Amino acid sequence: MQRLYEKIAMDILRFITAGSIDDGKSTLIGRLLLDTGNIKNDILESVKAGKENGDVNLAFITDGLRAERLAGITIDVAYKYFTTHQRKFIITDAPGHFHYTKNLVTGASGVDAMIILIDATIGISMQTLIHSMVASFLGIPNLVVAINKMDLAGYDEAVYSLLKTEYNQIAEQLKLDNITYIPMSALEGDNVTSPSVNMTWYKGDNLLQYLEECKTSELGENGNLRIIVQYVANGFIYGRVVSGMLQTGSHVNINGSGINAAVKTIFHNYIEVNEATAGHDICLVLETDQPVNRGDILTNVNDNLQYTNEFEADLCWLDEASELELNKDYKIRIASAEVTGQINEIISKTVVDSSINYDSNEPISVNEFARVSIRTNNKVAFDNFNQIKETGRGILIDRDTNNTSGALILR
Amino acid sequence: MNHLDVLESEAVYILREVAGQFKNPVLLFSGGKDSTLLIHLALKAFYPLPMPFSVMHIDTGHNFEEALSFRDSLVKQHNLQLVVRKVEDTIKLKNLEEPGGKFPSRNALQSYTLLDAISEFQYDAIIGGGRRDEEKARAKERIFSVRDASGAWLPHNQRPELWDLYNGQIHADEQIRVFPISNWSELDVWQYIKQEKIELPSLYFAHERQCIQFNKRLVAMSEYIMQDAADVIITTSVRYRTVGDMTCTAAVESTARTIDEVIDEISASMLSERGETRMDDQISDAGMEDRKLKGYF
Repeated sequence: MQRLYEKIAMDILRFITAGSIDDGKSTLIGRLLLDTGNIKNDILESVKAGKENGDVNLAFITDGLRAERLAGITIDVAYKYFTTHQRKFIITDAPGHFHYTKNLVTGASGVDAMIILIDATIGISMQTLIHSMVASFLGIPNLVVAINKMDLAGYDEAVYSLLKTEYNQIAEQLKLDNITYIPMSALEGDNVTSPSVNMTWYKGDNLLQYLEECKTSELGENGNLRIIVQYVANGFIYGRVVSGMLQTGSHVNINGSGINAAVKTIFHNYIEVNEATAGHDICLVLETDQPVNRGDILTNVNDNLQYTNEFEADLCWLDEASELELNKDYKIRIASAEVTGQINEIISKTVVDSSINYDSNEPISVNEFARVSIRTNNKVAFDNFNQIKETGRGILIDRDTNNTSGALILR
Repeated sequence: MNHLDVLESEAVYILREVAGQFKNPVLLFSGGKDSTLLIHLALKAFYPLPMPFSVMHIDTGHNFEEALSFRDSLVKQHNLQLVVRKVEDTIKLKNLEEPGGKFPSRNALQSYTLLDAISEFQYDAIIGGGRRDEEKARAKERIFSVRDASGAWLPHNQRPELWDLYNGQIHADEQIRVFPISNWSELDVWQYIKQEKIELPSLYFAHERQCIQFNKRLVAMSEYIMQDAADVIITTSVRYRTVGDMTCTAAVESTARTIDEVIDEISASMLSERGETRMDDQISDAGMEDRKLKGYF
């Protein structure tokens, strides 16, 4: 057997589980951790509490706050980790309740995959629609629809097929693609980490197989150069290359502004290097008298980076304490840039009740989605999210409370 | 990129965000493996300049000698600005009650000293080596964790935190606790220590030590614990999986003298890191959550 200290060529897959309150999310995570040998004995002992027969309460593994264990629900995101011989996994266990959708959005930002659980005995619920909205809003690249509790539905293929057909219609409406359907019983372990003996009619991957093979989101080395400037001191510019590549001697442009500068030195990982590619955290010295500041984006010369003070975005409102206020000054953060700006129009609002509709006359409050137009006091640099994600997303900060009140996707 | 590259990059990015967003950050350093890793990452993040913040040790006075001397030699080696604030002084100043019992831990009292030091130096961001896989309350905390004017964590009302857009905006009396290695597991830390050849205190490797056997745990003999006639004292080969106070950190029986042997040992261990070594988490089911509500890390 390969020893773990030699096994460091693993990558990381980040995924989130979403489902209604009793769809069995926390149970599924408990099952994954338990079956892959990633729960230590002392933790196992501590989650037997509350079950009279000494059975493991799988859900207790992730519910970390006293209030959650008392109420038996997940309130905020919990992160759990496990490793197989293929990969390191970061699991985000997110709340299912509508009231905590904002926490689901926190947990789902930046994941490679989302698992949406549907209770086979109940079918598609409003929560399923909301979770799918979140996946669509955030542009999550891989989606698993896990039809759970198949043990309570007689492991019946017809139940699975019907739900699959129904979900396909939602997926079409929300423009979701790359969906994998898996019939499952998280409680009994069917199709979680091994094939189900009760559902031999299902020929696809079990969940763990899927997760081990699922493509992770890599930054694009072949894309246009984007360096997010985070910190500048004594002429040293610290930032991350999120797209493309950079060489010493080449020229970079500051915020698509027409100001170019030659790259004198690149530091990465304690040494001076001649080139850096997407994913590298670098320190740069440029040959220029022009100031470079936190918030700037560096690109190649003659690039198509947008640099403007009027644009549209998809918005999810995250603040329970306030509604979106038109023409109010908010701080708008895109990559590392921070500008003051206002939402001056709600173009359309997405209403999720029994189905998904678009309307523009309602105020936007917590857990709601809209298309908005934004005006900023100073110009800000960004990309279309569909081209370069890292420079195509932002947050909206309330200047009075400092709360992160909204999520923005620029597309 | 392999998993260590990803984790390193995430931590470097977070440390640079701290430098870019705050006026007066500080990094908490105890001489333990996680905070030593943080210093390594901070040096790397700001190379070729020195790291732009000082480091602080909240000293309970119940330290392992090896951790203290390691702390001082690392500070000297990298020319770091070290601030030490002592729990002993807080106890005198605030007339606090010294903890009693067989293992009188000042662990919970550290929060008072920490909060006093934060207000003394007006720190706005406090960087710590907490990891989400250590403990269930820690598993729920944000990377940029807002603490109110009393230093308390507000677990029911955490700020949304999307992608790597960390929001460090705070009001005058508030502070942000920053956890750059949130997503690292114990094994990741050790694999990275091996990869980067990071030096650690000798405590982390097997050595002979005289210990009291107590509730299946091995507690080092020291002047800080109450010995009595019934104690079973043995001398055996042990190492420390975590390093905290001498009063509340237990050793594990081990013969692992090299990093590879340590990695083998923790991979095979059937017990969690804190479960095996921390006596302060076992007080109640929500021990860590309760301490965090009072300003603890």
